[in-house]
Amino acid sequence: MAYAYLFKYIIIGDTGVGKSCLLLQFTDKRFQPVHDLTIGVEFGARMITIDGKQIKLQIWDTAGQESFRSITRSYYRGAAGALLVYDITRRDTFNHLTTWLEDARQHSNSNMVIMLIGNKSDLESRREVKKEEGEAFAREHGLIFMETSAKTASNVEEAFINTAKEIYEKIQEGVFDINNEANGIKIGPQHAATNSSLAGGQGGQQAGGGCC
Amino acid sequence: MVGPTTGPHPRLQPTRRKNLEFEPLSTTGLILEDRPASLPAKSEEEAQRHRQEYNEMVAEAKRRELKDAQRKKRQMKERLKQEENIARAMLIWNTEVLPNWESMRNTRRVRELWWQGLPPSVRGRVWSLAIGNELNITPELYDIFLSRAKEKWRSFNETNSLSENEDCGTSLADRESSLDLIKLDIFRTFPSLYIFQRGGPYHDLLHSVLGAYTCYRPDVGYVQGMSFIAAVLILNLEEADAFIAFANLLNKPCQMAFFRVDHDLMLKYFAAFEVFFEENLPKLFQHFQTNSLTPDFYLIDWIFTLYSKSLPLDVACRVWDLFCRDGEEALFRTGLGILRLYQDVLLQMDFIHSAQFLSRLPENTPAHTLFSCINNTHMISSNRRWNQVSAAHTKTISTFADKVGSPALRS
Repeated sequence: MAYAYLFKYIIIGDTGVGKSCLLLQFTDKRFQPVHDLTIGVEFGARMITIDGKQIKLQIWDTAGQESFRSITRSYYRGAAGALLVYDITRRDTFNHLTTWLEDARQHSNSNMVIMLIGNKSDLESRREVKKEEGEAFAREHGLIFMETSAKTASNVEEAFINTAKEIYEKIQEGVFDINNEANGIKIGPQHAATNSSLAGGQGGQQAGGGCC
Repeated sequence: MVGPTTGPHPRLQPTRRKNLEFEPLSTTGLILEDRPASLPAKSEEEAQRHRQEYNEMVAEAKRRELKDAQRKKRQMKERLKQEENIARAMLIWNTEVLPNWESMRNTRRVRELWWQGLPPSVRGRVWSLAIGNELNITPELYDIFLSRAKEKWRSFNETNSLSENEDCGTSLADRESSLDLIKLDIFRTFPSLYIFQRGGPYHDLLHSVLGAYTCYRPDVGYVQGMSFIAAVLILNLEEADAFIAFANLLNKPCQMAFFRVDHDLMLKYFAAFEVFFEENLPKLFQHFQTNSLTPDFYLIDWIFTLYSKSLPLDVACRVWDLFCRDGEEALFRTGLGILRLYQDVLLQMDFIHSAQFLSRLPENTPAHTLFSCINNTHMISSNRRWNQVSAAHTKTISTFADKVGSPALRS
């Protein structure tokens, strides 16, 4: 399907916080209680609509273990948005946010929109991190914040879409140079035709992708 | 074909049937017997039609049964043949090969037998022998490291969380801190088999093997992907033997490079893989290049788990057989076999679809077609074999990031 823009997202955060489950809920609208662990990187894609425009999200779901950090670092490049996920029932995953954020800031484009996500909000009785703490962390570091549940789907849609809205606003404000693909944004085929600076190079790539 | 009980009987009102005092005992009853007294009799025409429909159904059912029986017979014959083959192979392995392992393992006959796949009953034994025990690990040594792991787990539990300062990567030489991560992954290992779930029969066993390894090699620690390798070994070997095979297998250069996440070395393997990729599948290679689909996107998962996560378990075991026979070359050859098998679909896909496809291969990947694709993959490039090519690549690559982190957005 034709799209106006393509945004690349990357999902990061400690192992077992529910990154792959969030992605599955967003792309397939289902929850898998026991999900295979991710080794390296896996992918998802979905089309959304913002301001009447079709936007294709290309989502890179990364392995969470510290050992893989050096691999995932190379996947930040070219991402327009990042979902930084922790598990509200495991304090240590919240404590590691600073290292994740440093990593993200250091290896990505400075305009990358980062959404902080406290996942597993359905497990209220096992909560170790208060919502206010998440909010405070997000405020302090200039991130958007939401608590989600990949299990009940609560806020999952919103988390992905609000990130896209923020990116879209930045495009409107001219913060993103959309002609530089290193920013993680790509103009869709039909728009590219009116945009001569993008005409070269990757024209043939969209040919195969029928759906999102 | 609609069954007689549900078929359309124009004059038989469903509402009336509900009021029946009794239900006919079988479809035969419904067709052959006259209607119960409370209902009007069938007309001759209707009775005739019912008889005809009934006869057609019987004939159809007979045809189906015959076909089924023939199919079953064929399957049975095939299974018998397979069983015979396995039994014959088992006999050869047990009486000829295993007792004379060193002298026979590289003979042409044994290599050919090996290619057919190892019989499950000797598989563990052959894997153990092929992997070897260069590290001279004994079952006693396993017990020692297992106790150490258990002690650590106890102290984690007492302090009620993993020691925060230890785990922030302050001391890279001591990755025993990764011990605490193991429990997060056990139940995510082959979740569909259920045996590694909490309370499942192999849960504690897998936990033990991985814990003992982490204490045995604190410089490597527990790295995701290991749980799949240990699980496959546990399914084929006794506990201590599984540990010995596990530690020795991970000690092989290729596995060490990956589990230590040594970028330069991993790149060397990817680059060597691409040489054979281009040689074997030039069209697909070109297509991947155009789409910036680099081997790290699929090879990392495949190599870390030795295909046990991406292929059906029985197929993966055959890949392991080949890996035990031919070493690391078999792993990359299998990767090319998979790409060859799915070449036609992949050529139609863009970056994101190919990447998604390769990270979730079709669940029904059949062993025989995959293995004929592997068989058609030749690991010779300009007269150089895998080992020569991979060694030659050591120097030519600068950094991982330069290569895989192409800034261009893939679509």
